[in-house]
Amino acid sequence: MQEQTVTFRILRGTIVNDKLVQRTQDFEVPCDATTTVLHALEWIKGEIDGTLTFRRSCRASICGSCGMYINGRSRLACKTKVNDILAGNVAKNIAPAKDGVIEVGPQRNQPVLKDLVVDIEPFYAKVKTLDPFVQDGPEKDEHVTKDSFSQVNMVSNCIMCGACYSDCTAMVENPDFFGPAALAKAYRFVADPREGNKTERLKELSEKNGIWDCTRCNMCIDACPKGVAPMEAIVKLRSLAMEAGITDNRGAKHAMVFKDDIATWGVLNEPFMLLKTAGVVGALGQLGNALNLAKVGKIPNPFPFDHKVDKLDEVKAIYRELQENPIDVRTRSDDSGPGAG
Amino acid sequence: MIQHDILIIGAGLAGMRAAFEGISAGLDTAVVSKIHPLRSHSCAAQGGVNAAINPKDDWRHHAYDTVKGADYVGDQDSIDLMCSEAPQAVLDMDAMGCPFSREEDGTIAQRAFGGQNFPRTAYAADRTGHAMLHTLWEQAIKLGTKVYDEYFLMKITTDGGRASGAIVMDVKTGKLHQINAKAVCIATGGYGRLFASNTNAMTNTGDGLAHAMRAGAAAADLEFVQFHPTGLRNSGILISEGVRGEGAYLIGKDGQRFMQKYAPNKLELASRDVVSRSMTTEIMNGNGVNGGVFLDVRHLGRDLILERLPQIRQLSIDFEGVDPIDQPIPVRPTCHYTMGGIRTNKMGQSEQLQGLFAAGEAACVSVHGANRLGANSLLETIVFGKITGKDMVDFVTNREGRERPKSDAGDVQEVSAQIAQLKARPREGGAKQSDIRKYLTEAMQEYCGVFRSAEGLAQAMDAVNRAKADMQKVFVDDKTDAFNTDVITALELGNLVLLAEATVMAAIERTESRGAQSRIDYPKRDDANWIVHITSTVDPNGKLTLGRDAVRTVDNPQYAPAERVY
Repeated sequence: MQEQTVTFRILRGTIVNDKLVQRTQDFEVPCDATTTVLHALEWIKGEIDGTLTFRRSCRASICGSCGMYINGRSRLACKTKVNDILAGNVAKNIAPAKDGVIEVGPQRNQPVLKDLVVDIEPFYAKVKTLDPFVQDGPEKDEHVTKDSFSQVNMVSNCIMCGACYSDCTAMVENPDFFGPAALAKAYRFVADPREGNKTERLKELSEKNGIWDCTRCNMCIDACPKGVAPMEAIVKLRSLAMEAGITDNRGAKHAMVFKDDIATWGVLNEPFMLLKTAGVVGALGQLGNALNLAKVGKIPNPFPFDHKVDKLDEVKAIYRELQENPIDVRTRSDDSGPGAG
Repeated sequence: MIQHDILIIGAGLAGMRAAFEGISAGLDTAVVSKIHPLRSHSCAAQGGVNAAINPKDDWRHHAYDTVKGADYVGDQDSIDLMCSEAPQAVLDMDAMGCPFSREEDGTIAQRAFGGQNFPRTAYAADRTGHAMLHTLWEQAIKLGTKVYDEYFLMKITTDGGRASGAIVMDVKTGKLHQINAKAVCIATGGYGRLFASNTNAMTNTGDGLAHAMRAGAAAADLEFVQFHPTGLRNSGILISEGVRGEGAYLIGKDGQRFMQKYAPNKLELASRDVVSRSMTTEIMNGNGVNGGVFLDVRHLGRDLILERLPQIRQLSIDFEGVDPIDQPIPVRPTCHYTMGGIRTNKMGQSEQLQGLFAAGEAACVSVHGANRLGANSLLETIVFGKITGKDMVDFVTNREGRERPKSDAGDVQEVSAQIAQLKARPREGGAKQSDIRKYLTEAMQEYCGVFRSAEGLAQAMDAVNRAKADMQKVFVDDKTDAFNTDVITALELGNLVLLAEATVMAAIERTESRGAQSRIDYPKRDDANWIVHITSTVDPNGKLTLGRDAVRTVDNPQYAPAERVY
């Protein structure tokens, strides 16, 4: 990339009478192949407008200060090259910017304090409620080996930048959801042999706002700048919880019914599944939703007759195969990968 | 007014480790940090932490390596204390849950680091500081430590000759708060941002050190600034010495290794000052490309790079566009660490200002002397965080600190007026902070960097004087109260200007070459005159004065100055 002037469209924000007032402002910034979004913001603040407000510290994607929303996704400004955003970068999973403009705004799912600065308190409050420290307890195993932390290492790459929290779709629906970072942190303890209360933690995590509230949309994996893959940790926590017999909750029941349906018929029976997951009362509570879905033709035949795939034996073969060779989801840190942006 | 028993400024490893002791002793302990604790620059330390935990190792060897590495101006009592306490300090961290990398048998793994005769560097992959910082933060949550997140230090207050607390600004609101405390600990890290090319976080502006000096504490060893051999060429971002510990080569434009010319035994793993000077000499002699040479790990192989150096690989790809599996990494010596700091005794207490303590990079307990060994800085934070924390507990519980000092409300007004004055200055005819920062840091880099001379240092002092004058008319665009980072960076710059002056003065004063101070006009080490610390103090009018403080020795003939050969 030759030296060129690039337009930065920045979503500025101020609190006026306790209300956030936002507007976009364009800045023309000289950039070359090495310019990062953080370099550009620093240049604007130093040369053009000292009122532009953002957090930053290490410049090396390890402190987590400069998480912000850049061209459609949360990214670290220090790690995001202007050129990658403009031209796109397949290896970093970045699509080319529309109109050649760099769009920068504050992270989402959090209250904005000023310009690109969000209030990080709610994010950290959730991490804190999960008792994020190794605890003494009956399940503590003092004996560690070379591989003891292979499960811990990948999630402990987390720098608490809030990118996953910002882009979490489950959070939009349920602002009380603990969120990907907090759950990945929780996995760090469940996976540590020295942790004494693994099962107790799994019980707590299986409750409301916990592991079963994740919609597995993958956004946190895409947004994470450190390759932590929080959703994979959440999936691991679900498996561990079910293995530990913590199944008396909607999420686990849903998973089991899902599995049984497929194993039995090769296809889901959604109305029955709701009934089994949520119970009669819970299912009645969803009646409004169901009627809406029926209106747009999204409710299939609720009767189990005719509700079977042709080659059921092949479905059963898949189950057998998985039973004999379980897949280990990607929570090991053999390669931190290129990350996102 | 807020009251605590112990007030710690800075929430990195040293501060959090000290807070752990205060809380554990049941004292009302609070930590103030201008950024969230997990953003502290401790998180950037990659390579590891030294400790003689292997039964074949001995802390005395570690201490000897440190005394020699410090080029014989480290304080031997502090060094002995640090090295003998090191194994327990690391095991403490392990017990708190820090996921240190392991050997097959489960013992803590250790790798080789520069300037040492035993592989005694414990690590957590290549993000050791990050793992340790998160561990101490976890402990802070467990203990319910009071942390004032995003509060900026405006002043260390005093009552007679005693530290009485601090004036801090709540960054979110701009509101000033007066905190009164029986003991105050500065753990705000170093001031590497004073140099144009550095590995440091943008927040490493030496705020605590500068304010402690203004409050009457002495600083020492400010002339000793470490240039890390391997910063990324473009950004200055750190590539750990651990990479050379794993066997990386330094090569020039010609693709050949060159360290055999300068350190025939230790080669790439000579002490940092030696390697940085060698690289700078190669670059000056035309064996570099675009002002840098190369760090080559290709021969280590893909598997080892992916297993042991994943973060390094990622940083090279992200910030230099180079995948070290296929290409050598462009690197150059880059300001990394400031050995100098608040002068303390071996317990971390200032002898000029009672009730003031310091730990970590902000302190000069002088375990590093003229040159710090790699992986001794993380060690310093956890050993002296612990020791200083315990000593503050003792000071507050059993010594002079039992009595609460008085705070003066006039201090809040003074600070408030200072901010108002800054905001009132007009842009027209004013000085722009980005301009001052640029010419000052570039002058420091060029004239007070790896190589120094009287002539060059005079140029550096010209830049300092210009910066001092410009700071009188520096303006800010942001006149609001909430989250005013424009005001904060201007105040940080003011702290850097003071430290620039003190650093250049000390570098001029020391007419010899020792450790990180390399005077081309005084190329020899001068043991007859210079086995001594240069101290710096600020009088009430802001005038800096230099002094001398003896190097503290122990009766150990092995510590007698000898030629440093690697």
